[in-house]
Amino acid sequence: MAKVLIIAEHDGKKLNGSTARVMTCAQGLSAESVEIAVFAAEGAAVAEQAAAISGVTKVLLIENPANEHATAAILAPQIEALASEYSHVLAPSTTFGKDLTPRIAAHLAVPQISDIMRVESPRIFDRPIYAGNAVITVEAPEGIVVGTVRTASFSEAEKTGSATIEKREINVELPSHTRFVKLETSGSADRPDLQAAAKVVSGGRGVGSTENFKVIYDLADKLGAAVGASRAAVDAGFIPNDHQVGQTGKIIAPELYMSFGISGAIQHLAGIKDAGTIVAINKDPDAPIFEIADFGLVGDLFEIIPELEKALA
Amino acid sequence: MPEYKAPQRDMMFVLNDVINVSELAELPGFEDATPDIVQGVIDEAAKIIENTIAPLNETGDREGCRFDNGTVTAPAGFKEAYQLYAESGWTGLDKSIDFGGQGLPYTLATAVTDMLSAGNDAFSLYPGLTNGACEALVEHGSQELQDIYLEKLTTGEWTGTMCLTEPQAGSDLSQVRTKAIDQNDGTYLVEGTKVFITGGEHDFVENIIHLVLARLPDAPAGVKGISMFLIPKFMINSDASLGERNPVVCASIEEKMGIHGSSTCVMNFENAVGYMIGNPNEGLRYMFTMMNLARLMVGLQGLGVAERATQGAIEYAKERKQATAINGGATIIHHPDVRRMLMTMKALTEGCRMVAYDTAKQYDISKAHPDASVRKTANDRVELMTPICKAFATDTGCEVASLGVQVLGGAGYIRESGMEQHMRDAKIFCIYEGTNAIQALDLVGRKMKLNLPQNFITEMAAKLEAESSNSELAFILEPMKIALELLDETTQWLIKAAQEDPQNPAAAAVEYLTLYSLLTHGYFWVIAAKAALIKQDDSFCQAKLATAQFFAAKILPRVHSLAPAIMSGAAVVMAAEEDGI
Amino acid sequence: MKILVGVKRVVDFNVRIQVKADGSGVATEGVKMSMNPFDEIAVEEALRLKEAGKAEEVIAITIGPKASQEQLRTALAMGADRAIHVETDEDVQPLTAARILKAITDKEEPKIVMLGKQAIDDDNNQTAQMLAALANWPQATFASKIDVDGDSANVTREIDAGLETLSIDLPAVISTDLRLNEPRYVKLPDIMKAKRKPIETFTIAELGIEPAAAVKVLKTSAPAARQAGIKVASVDELVAALKEKGLI
Ligand SMILES: Cc1cc2nc3c(=O)[nH]c(=O)nc-3n(C[C@H](O)[C@H](O)[C@H](O)COP(=O)(O)OP(=O)(O)OC[C@H]3O[C@@H](n4cnc5c(N)ncnc54)[C@H](O)[C@@H]3O)c2cc1C
Ligand SMILES: Cc1cc2nc3c(=O)[nH]c(=O)nc-3n(C[C@H](O)[C@H](O)[C@H](O)COP(=O)(O)OP(=O)(O)OC[C@H]3O[C@@H](n4cnc5c(N)ncnc54)[C@H](O)[C@@H]3O)c2cc1C
Repeated sequence: MAKVLIIAEHDGKKLNGSTARVMTCAQGLSAESVEIAVFAAEGAAVAEQAAAISGVTKVLLIENPANEHATAAILAPQIEALASEYSHVLAPSTTFGKDLTPRIAAHLAVPQISDIMRVESPRIFDRPIYAGNAVITVEAPEGIVVGTVRTASFSEAEKTGSATIEKREINVELPSHTRFVKLETSGSADRPDLQAAAKVVSGGRGVGSTENFKVIYDLADKLGAAVGASRAAVDAGFIPNDHQVGQTGKIIAPELYMSFGISGAIQHLAGIKDAGTIVAINKDPDAPIFEIADFGLVGDLFEIIPELEKALA
Repeated sequence: MPEYKAPQRDMMFVLNDVINVSELAELPGFEDATPDIVQGVIDEAAKIIENTIAPLNETGDREGCRFDNGTVTAPAGFKEAYQLYAESGWTGLDKSIDFGGQGLPYTLATAVTDMLSAGNDAFSLYPGLTNGACEALVEHGSQELQDIYLEKLTTGEWTGTMCLTEPQAGSDLSQVRTKAIDQNDGTYLVEGTKVFITGGEHDFVENIIHLVLARLPDAPAGVKGISMFLIPKFMINSDASLGERNPVVCASIEEKMGIHGSSTCVMNFENAVGYMIGNPNEGLRYMFTMMNLARLMVGLQGLGVAERATQGAIEYAKERKQATAINGGATIIHHPDVRRMLMTMKALTEGCRMVAYDTAKQYDISKAHPDASVRKTANDRVELMTPICKAFATDTGCEVASLGVQVLGGAGYIRESGMEQHMRDAKIFCIYEGTNAIQALDLVGRKMKLNLPQNFITEMAAKLEAESSNSELAFILEPMKIALELLDETTQWLIKAAQEDPQNPAAAAVEYLTLYSLLTHGYFWVIAAKAALIKQDDSFCQAKLATAQFFAAKILPRVHSLAPAIMSGAAVVMAAEEDGI
Repeated sequence: MKILVGVKRVVDFNVRIQVKADGSGVATEGVKMSMNPFDEIAVEEALRLKEAGKAEEVIAITIGPKASQEQLRTALAMGADRAIHVETDEDVQPLTAARILKAITDKEEPKIVMLGKQAIDDDNNQTAQMLAALANWPQATFASKIDVDGDSANVTREIDAGLETLSIDLPAVISTDLRLNEPRYVKLPDIMKAKRKPIETFTIAELGIEPAAAVKVLKTSAPAARQAGIKVASVDELVAALKEKGLI
């Protein structure tokens, strides 16, 4: 029977919604137990949020000042020390998980399964390749299964649990070669998180400038939506990088995705394939985005957005 | 406008499977042209052309060149793209290492020019004409002129022009009037007006080197009295720095049907200082040494525009939905008539590529092979194929661009689709560097006298014979055999009919060139089909074979209307009285 | 100092790949192959460090079939000084790749190993991290800015929360993200020069490496297609449709 360890993603105060999605994935492993490990400097609050996720057997809280920032080189040896007790070690396929888990797998001498999108059995999974243009079914060899979970493929588990929280000390030597310097966020704390949001309003190169992006933000605020962007919009400096959606940005699955001035390159589409309903507004009737949009509207975004706002008011 | 993607799969197929480019690396001087270099050159040239030059095709067309008081400004982005292209070493690809080139085969330069013309035909003229100037200098310039000018032209730091045409002297260069007076100090003062000069003035580089046809005061009349001069825009000081402005003035630029990004200038030589290239009164002969390459280049422009139109049409036809096709297909590519147009475009374009690349390979052999008789045979092939490459590929450019507009329907006629630009651009390729009529006259005249068409007919017959046991090729061998007999008959008729009335070949020259070109294409389709048969599991080779079948069944039969038309003679062409027309 | 840069041969990013009908994989016959775009950025960054006087030598390495030498030639033409080809026709998964890179790292002792953050074919995003683990070196993944200063480097990383800066001691492994730089165009003379630059070849066996246990690929399938949608003619129609679905 599987014994699963999930590494919680959080910012020190709040548990990231991706953790509850990994839980849903873990539920497909017919596990005997699913435990969540919270690594933090002071993690009581986060541990409590983790304990509330339905299906969690136990939360392990590993507090250590070194754990203040989620640095792979520091977390990995601690997780490796725990790993032998488990059959599966999972983390979300966010930049947090992507950075961390291969470092663990390499030390455990097992391969890693990246971006699990479907569980067929405890060792057999589906994962996307070629920016999601093909899916492979893979079987993990003997040994611990280390994997990252494509969060867009799983919904968040319910929050009706109340697992016990167990404090753990892990005494392994931690390296000093990697030091956190700073984190610059784009300061959109009051807006929904792009990866968790039910609605996303996204802008591309067609939006034209940083100033023009205000119309995208305004519409997002009216809808209670998060703001996304294409790579071209990020590259042009219209909007910070953490808004990028796509193969090399965030892969998201909101209920509603509204794109404005995005052509729909395959690398962008790779990020929104699992969205519930896709709406595309583009002035070019032949833009490839219309091939996958549930509702397409041909026209100038600067005329359509004011109309939309009026209709919504 | 659809993006240009270099047809690398087809280019590599032609290079490797049709013309066997690897043989070039065995020639002295071309040791570097190994398969990895060939691949690397194509990959990297494709990258820079697709990403920096092709995107300027449409904007260049809309914006055009601007003239202001003697200066010419090319469309936005052209200058930067040119500088990147030159600094990246592409202008010197096949030029001598001694002058900063890379010494690679002309065949590779041909593949790059294929991409460059398809990516942006107007742009391709700037480096294209510089090539002509280099060639003339290499072949006929004095050591001193070579030392001063060749390196900068090779590296693209300066550009070159070819100044032949005058208001009264177009196809007929015997009418050239521009005068050159010997100053008895090694320089000449040149006075006259040249028109339609491509790249005569622009803002890319600090110096422009004009190669000018002019007459000495005592020169014999006609083409035997033309000399060639090098005239720089800025004089060069003894320390190689730029000196005084030479009075070569751009008086205006033309407004044109197409190639708006290329400047076409009226150039006034107001006692400009020039240097003679080679000997007095031999200018026309010199012009012809570089004319071959220039004509091959224009042929590549025809190929390039055809390629671009074909890409755009195929892309559109795969997306446009209009009436469910008979086979149930949703997009117009399933309608048999649309398919007929697309396959015609594809077959003609790919055929032109094979002929052009093979001619380039023959050119390399004619220059580099150690055995003089092999060089001679190869040179004969180049001589024969030059008018075919120039005229048939540029006619193809027009035919294919026109089909491209047709495939798109109304959208094709609208500017935004990018198709109509190809149609406008394509026409000039049939006109400059000797109109296609002049090419055809060259084929039925000079080339026929040298027995070149006849010799290649024998070679084609031998090829068909050699393959005759390959039953899988019967679909093309059979109609080719019949067509070749017809070509042979027509050739014999022309030779005979010329003695009866010199108007007979003149009236049929263009049709004969078309007929000859179709057979030449068929010859290469046999080779291509044979190569494609080997690996049919792959969709490219499957399509290649299907295209060969299409050529044999739908295009080659054109010979059956051409042959009788040719042999109908000049009388019916000339019968109407001039006043009555 | 030396920089070792990984270069992988992959299907060009412009190609729309096709899944084979029998589920045995993706059709790659005759498809255009290129250097993984993230690796191109890694090569560019290494060259910029060299040009800025921060590195003396840039060594490109690839693991793959004979044809991968084309990508090494590209790296050499961009300006890498020499190259290493670990030749194999097997499918090399990240852990094995990391072990190979570790063996080469032990031989060459570079101060920085620069790898693309993921290869755009199997999208694993693992090799750099695994190499760092095996070498017990620092790692800075998804780099969008690198400042090397003596024996340490400040690396800005593109992460979900924004831009994180780490200070790492060298030697280290850095994985590159798209906005780190824009790779240069190769110059024709450099393609010719690249031909004369040395490529050293090894087999996996010669390096004494035991391939890691592999993930077995059972089948390859095309992703579930989205249902084709409709075009609406006006904002009102759009809003009505979204209201009907309960989305607004
Ligand atoms: C390795 C690799 C990874 C990549 N990863 C990603 C990724 O993760 N995410 C991503 O997005 N891209 C990614 N890309 C880039 C991708 O290929 C595209 O270049 C990018 O998505 C294009 O962004 P865009 O649609 O905003 O811009 P464009 O393609 O330029 O499209 C702009 C669109 O706006 C429309 N428009 C303009 N003005 C208006 C107006 N006033 N009203 C309405 N419409 C208007 C135009 O018609 C056009 O369709 C990647 C590329 C590579 C090579
Ligand atoms: C955009 C552009 C760029 C150019 N660039 C250059 C340049 O860089 N340098 C340069 O020197 N020139 C250049 N030219 C000039 C070009 O080479 C000439 O236009 C061309 O050679 C035809 O000459 P023409 O215009 O005088 O036509 P004409 O010679 O008057 O021809 C008119 C018609 O008569 C036919 N004809 C003429 N003589 C014969 C004959 N003997 N037998 C049968 N038919 C005949 C022609 O085929 C044509 O159909 C350029 C022209 C253009 C339009």
